[in-house]
Amino acid sequence: MQISTEEMPGGITRVALDGRMDIAGAAAVDLKMNVVAGSAQKLIIDMQKVEFLGSMGLRSIVLPARAVHSRGGKVVLLGPNEMVESVLKTSGIDSLLPIRRDLNDAIAALG
Amino acid sequence: MLAATTMATTHPSSCPSSQPSAPEPRLTLEGRLEDLAEVWPWIEALARHYSIPARTEYAIHLCLEEALSNVVRHGYTEQANQSIVIECASSGAKEMVFTIEDQAPPFDPLAYRHAGDGPALASIAELEPGGQGIRLMRKFADRVSWERLPNGNRLTLAFSIAS
Repeated sequence: MQISTEEMPGGITRVALDGRMDIAGAAAVDLKMNVVAGSAQKLIIDMQKVEFLGSMGLRSIVLPARAVHSRGGKVVLLGPNEMVESVLKTSGIDSLLPIRRDLNDAIAALG
Repeated sequence: MLAATTMATTHPSSCPSSQPSAPEPRLTLEGRLEDLAEVWPWIEALARHYSIPARTEYAIHLCLEEALSNVVRHGYTEQANQSIVIECASSGAKEMVFTIEDQAPPFDPLAYRHAGDGPALASIAELEPGGQGIRLMRKFADRVSWERLPNGNRLTLAFSIAS
């Protein structure tokens, strides 16, 4: 599991996840996700290269997103594949964190 | 190092092994979270061998990861001296059935309800980060059933593989 971050214009932070967010994958990104969530105000979690998302992986998204929301920030999920999106929707996260297919739409959703 | 081992079985209803290099139909894990890493390569091998569609392979991994991590974290409270046995059987070419047996205290996941079953959440603060797994299992497995064993639990998860 790989994780990288990028600061974009407009005070947007993009964190890109790459790999399988199973138990081991979630553990591998948790620390960095929490660090990013500790300061980001507008956060794009780029899931285009996430091949698998399980319930531990969900937790690795929900907890940082909660931290950003608690400071009045915004979080958007970018480009999950069909099965990953289905997991997100089953969990109900999609009603709280917008899912966007396209980077420009994700930026727009951060207002 | 992973201490999980695979063992052959002669159980008559096990996955048919007429094709060469059939994956072992049984996987025995020790009750440690890190040993669950053994499960994914096993599912990949089964998926290749039985031509399981990618979506079903995903669902199997999702449900097994959830069921097994529940046993390790809650049933065994991460004590490593108890094992979990996962068996795979196929029902014709239509269904893959996985049974997971443990020696943990009785726990029926189908009787378990959590906040996520209720009305839509108003904020992310209400979302229980660890409470999604059973909901996912119910959604992604075609059948889920639970039996209490004399000394543990047996969870059965079935997935349609008919094309």
